[in-house]
Amino acid sequence: MLRQIKPRNARSKRALEKRAPKAVENPKKALFLRGTSCSQITQDALGDLYALTQVHAKRFQKKNPVHPFEDSSSLAFFSEKNDCSLLLFGSSNKKRPHTITFARTFDYKILDMLEFSIDGDSFRSISQFKTDKVPVGTRPLMVFAGTAFESPVPNNFTMAKSMLLDFFRGETSDKIDVEGLRYCIVITADEPTTSSSDPTPTTPESTPLLRLRVYTIRTHRSSQKLPRIELSEHGPRLDIRLGRSQPPDETLLKEAMRRPRLASDERTKKNVSTDLMGDKIGRIHTGKLDLSELQTRKMKGLKRGRDQHDDTGEAEEEETVVGEEAQPRKRKA
Amino acid sequence: MPTATQQKPTKLPVTVDKPTPYTFDLGLLLANDPNPVAAPPTGSTTDRTALETHLTSIARDGAQVLINQLLTTCPITSTPAGVLLSLPAPQTPLPREKPVPAPKAETKWAAFAKRRGIKPKTREQRRNLQYNEESGEFERRWGYKGANKAGQDDAIVELSSKQVDAEKRGDGTTSVRGDKRREIRERVKRNERRMRKNERNAAGRK
Repeated sequence: MLRQIKPRNARSKRALEKRAPKAVENPKKALFLRGTSCSQITQDALGDLYALTQVHAKRFQKKNPVHPFEDSSSLAFFSEKNDCSLLLFGSSNKKRPHTITFARTFDYKILDMLEFSIDGDSFRSISQFKTDKVPVGTRPLMVFAGTAFESPVPNNFTMAKSMLLDFFRGETSDKIDVEGLRYCIVITADEPTTSSSDPTPTTPESTPLLRLRVYTIRTHRSSQKLPRIELSEHGPRLDIRLGRSQPPDETLLKEAMRRPRLASDERTKKNVSTDLMGDKIGRIHTGKLDLSELQTRKMKGLKRGRDQHDDTGEAEEEETVVGEEAQPRKRKA
Repeated sequence: MPTATQQKPTKLPVTVDKPTPYTFDLGLLLANDPNPVAAPPTGSTTDRTALETHLTSIARDGAQVLINQLLTTCPITSTPAGVLLSLPAPQTPLPREKPVPAPKAETKWAAFAKRRGIKPKTREQRRNLQYNEESGEFERRWGYKGANKAGQDDAIVELSSKQVDAEKRGDGTTSVRGDKRREIRERVKRNERRMRKNERNAAGRK
């Protein structure tokens, strides 16, 4: 925990306000760091990912003796110190070669972590592709392909998707220049092989690979209204196998998923809605119906003037009617 | 030759047909392709190039569909800066990086103003310039040469009969000079006391 700083001048006050919690948040910043042993491939991969998200990223050059899955406290410390909520920790050893540990923080506490093991043979860096490079700070289009991402229950693939989305989305703005649609990040998940379809954990070799490809977009006239899109690879090219993971803590995730009430989303009127046809429908409460004067079936035996004591049958009937009528009704307003 | 170039552009296909439709989150410029990826098995170098072309075709379809969707559903405006697409708000739930800020605690004055229906001062009311009818010029209301300092440093101070009596009896320990300044200081201190009390109350309520 860092010490609480009380701003003594306007500049430090502004700096603190910049990193204070906000209803509409700043874009998440990523911190790139490496462990004591980090292969050239991992370093290149980190460098390329840094190049893609340079505006909202920070990169450390020195080695850090950190083992995220054993003790993540120093990652949380780096997150707080640098105000970065995404951490990419590169390391490489014999058991887990070419590994990038992706960690997210919430409120400077580690939310979730996932290990991305890069396939060393198929890795290609940006510099190995001879295409025009996209300008810094351009927002990418993103495509996630494959059935693995569509899982209704959270697993490593949905976590990876959420992390990569968080990482690449950059600054979300409500307007974008059409010229700015320059490149596209496509993440494809291989189909799970038959051996890995059984629920028991299988060998890492049989889990599907994630294939991260980055392409630049060229548009051609198609003599129709919409342009024809052609792609050329921009790099980096990463084949990723998902390794160890630390799923988010239930309470922490719930807190992180809270949506603030913004001034922009005006409060909708209660009980008023619009149906598919565009008709306005209001639900009103009609109040409790007075059933004491209800005219029930006229029978000689039930006349008011007669015996008042043995009318149990009528009382029962009244109760059932009350149950039906107390329901709020739908009426067109 | 112009005629030859005119005949050249054939209709390139811009639509993509897939068994399962794509889902989009245009606020994030995201397309999800739930179709199974029937990738050829990897191994030798020829397989690898086959795989890459397969992946590129998937990517091309995805990008084409996403751009079609963007250009057809988002309102487009032409400005001197360029052609702008208005994107909807992102739909995909992603975790926040910091907690939602707690609403500011209500001060005693704010509660009172709410009860009485007192509106906050407008920008014009808060302006430090006012028109002086006598001199016919604009002057500051406070601060350097502020109107609230008028008569503060006058050489001659007019006394009311009450003040004269008090002076004669000698029960006033301070002189009449600087009374106005003292009053302002007093008000500032009182306001600070109230501020601290509001802060204490806000901290206690948490």
